[in-house]
Amino acid sequence: MGLVAGKKLFSIMALCAMVGLLLLPIAVSLPSLALGADAPDAVKKDGEAKVEKGRDVYYKTEGIVVGAPAPKTVDGPRDYPRYNFESRVLLWFANQQHLYYGSFVLAVPIFCMVIEFMGVVTKDKAMAKRYDQLAYDFIKISLTAYSLTAILGGILIFTFLTLYPAFFGYLSSIFRPVMHIYALMFVAESGTLYIYYYGWDKMREGFLKWIHLSLSVILNVIGTLLMFLANSWIGFMMSPAGVDEQGRYLGNIWHVIHTALWNPLNLHRILGNMAFGGGVVAAYAAYKFLASKTDEDRAHYDWMGYIAMALGVAFLIPLPFAGYWLMREVYAYRQQMGITLMGGLLAWLFIIQATMIGILFLSTNYYLWQALGRMRGAEKYQRYIKYLVFVLCCGYLVFITPHTIVMTPAELKAMGGQQHPVLGNYGVMSAKNGGINVIITTTILSFVWYMRGNKVSTVSWSKFGNIFMGMFFGCAYFNIIGLAVLGYYIPANVRVGLSVPQVATTLSCLFFMFALNSFMMKGAKQMGPIEWGKISARSQYALIMLATAFTWMMGLMGYIRSSVRLFWHVNEIMRDNSPWAYTHTVGFAANMISFNVLFFWISILFVFWLGSLGIKKAPVEAKAGVPGGAPQPAGGH
Amino acid sequence: MGQTIVYVLVSLVICVAYFVGVDHFLMDSQGLDFWYLFRK
Repeated sequence: MGLVAGKKLFSIMALCAMVGLLLLPIAVSLPSLALGADAPDAVKKDGEAKVEKGRDVYYKTEGIVVGAPAPKTVDGPRDYPRYNFESRVLLWFANQQHLYYGSFVLAVPIFCMVIEFMGVVTKDKAMAKRYDQLAYDFIKISLTAYSLTAILGGILIFTFLTLYPAFFGYLSSIFRPVMHIYALMFVAESGTLYIYYYGWDKMREGFLKWIHLSLSVILNVIGTLLMFLANSWIGFMMSPAGVDEQGRYLGNIWHVIHTALWNPLNLHRILGNMAFGGGVVAAYAAYKFLASKTDEDRAHYDWMGYIAMALGVAFLIPLPFAGYWLMREVYAYRQQMGITLMGGLLAWLFIIQATMIGILFLSTNYYLWQALGRMRGAEKYQRYIKYLVFVLCCGYLVFITPHTIVMTPAELKAMGGQQHPVLGNYGVMSAKNGGINVIITTTILSFVWYMRGNKVSTVSWSKFGNIFMGMFFGCAYFNIIGLAVLGYYIPANVRVGLSVPQVATTLSCLFFMFALNSFMMKGAKQMGPIEWGKISARSQYALIMLATAFTWMMGLMGYIRSSVRLFWHVNEIMRDNSPWAYTHTVGFAANMISFNVLFFWISILFVFWLGSLGIKKAPVEAKAGVPGGAPQPAGGH
Repeated sequence: MGQTIVYVLVSLVICVAYFVGVDHFLMDSQGLDFWYLFRK
């Protein structure tokens, strides 16, 4: 007993030492982060020499100039060396692939943390084991993807250095105080991930399990900070701060990081990554489900797909609201930038984005309706699904209606103007806000139906609860559509504020109705168990559709966000003088995005295949009775 | 039947009051007048 306790103590000490060592480089490098640390050095070196001051372009504060001005590039081999190909396209490809994999490996450990936590706190031993196995399956997928992310990161840096040396040199000089922290955090992330993965079996019981869970928290904190740092670069490129009008660094790295768009970008990206990660894992599960030979495997992968989809959609629902916040901040930062995005050059891409968002929600709803089929007692909802389809289609059609369309003069004349006399009314923001909120509210309703599919509430107030829930959803629809209609009759400055109560209405449905449903279903009578694996193959294609649409949309939104800088490397600071400083046509951009999506899915299929090799070997090891072997895929349920 | 009508009415009153309150409060917090159209 004493020996076991001693071993545990030693394990904990060793673990703490490892984590401490991993975090040490970051702690050591922190002093150099001290605000304006470079400035006094620069002053000391010059002694009594003149101290040049500059004014921050965003914060409007004065600071001592400690950096060189942004280089004025010229089109030539010095600033823009190239192969016989468009450099921007090469960079686009490298960047997008790195982002896809980066998003995936940042999101999946968060899922693991949540699922592992659910496994630790649940009192049902069998369920705890299943959750633990699921979390392990998730991290196993992300481990191979993690190596690919690192490789793609290297390729991205080489692409920058080779094709855009002047720009990359300038950006590195601005972010020099945090560049090494980024690299060291990457080391810390890798170390923590490997301890987390390889220590899974050794730390599966008791207190050590909590240590293991804590490791996942550390892993995710590091991962999130890494993403925030990377976001600060794109934030700086879009809305620079911490430099003067010539692009000279003023010694305050926090100003450089904390630009006008940094926080909205952080929120938008973290939600987007989570939804994307959920989609990819759900697609993996769908692929495994379709390829399964046994009912047990089908049951496992059906369950896995559902959990991944539910987690992904949980982050997809607030994503449009985070997007609105980002756009609002873009408008607040530079109105012209907002107009370029949503009312000018890039507006058509937003119509495509709306189409993709609609597809995401339609796929989610379709999957949930199909999933009702694996529950006895859920038949009662089937006859109402057609009404949900109708509501969703109405919301979707309004959401994707363009304000104006490209027309020939004859078409323009025939229509009587640039806007269609009827459909043109739906092309405005007031209608679109109503459309998307109706779609999201319907998705929430589908989820509520799914959650109570095979259950009958036994609480004494169930009748009132059901009526109240129906009324709440009815009034929510009325409020959302009413506010959208109201928008047509009030001035623009009042109208813009209507999106806030519309969002609040949708979120009220999400939080209050989920909570009410949970209370009502406490101790509910089950009509029958959820028969995992007994779901149509069509539902699995819906999951694959969900993931593919999300990948495409991520590529699209990344392109839009990047393109809004137009002919600037760093907005209004460093001009892009390469021959490719123009905006591509919508068709070219769509083809490029599709190529990126295709490449990502082919490569991730390779990752899935690698993962499946390990699973195939597992039963042989189990038969051999290898002690402390890797957890086997849960099957017996 | 009578009980159902009472439940419907109570639910309706609560929901309408809640959503009108949300609309008014959130517009007010942005310095905007939710009742603009009716005051005009």
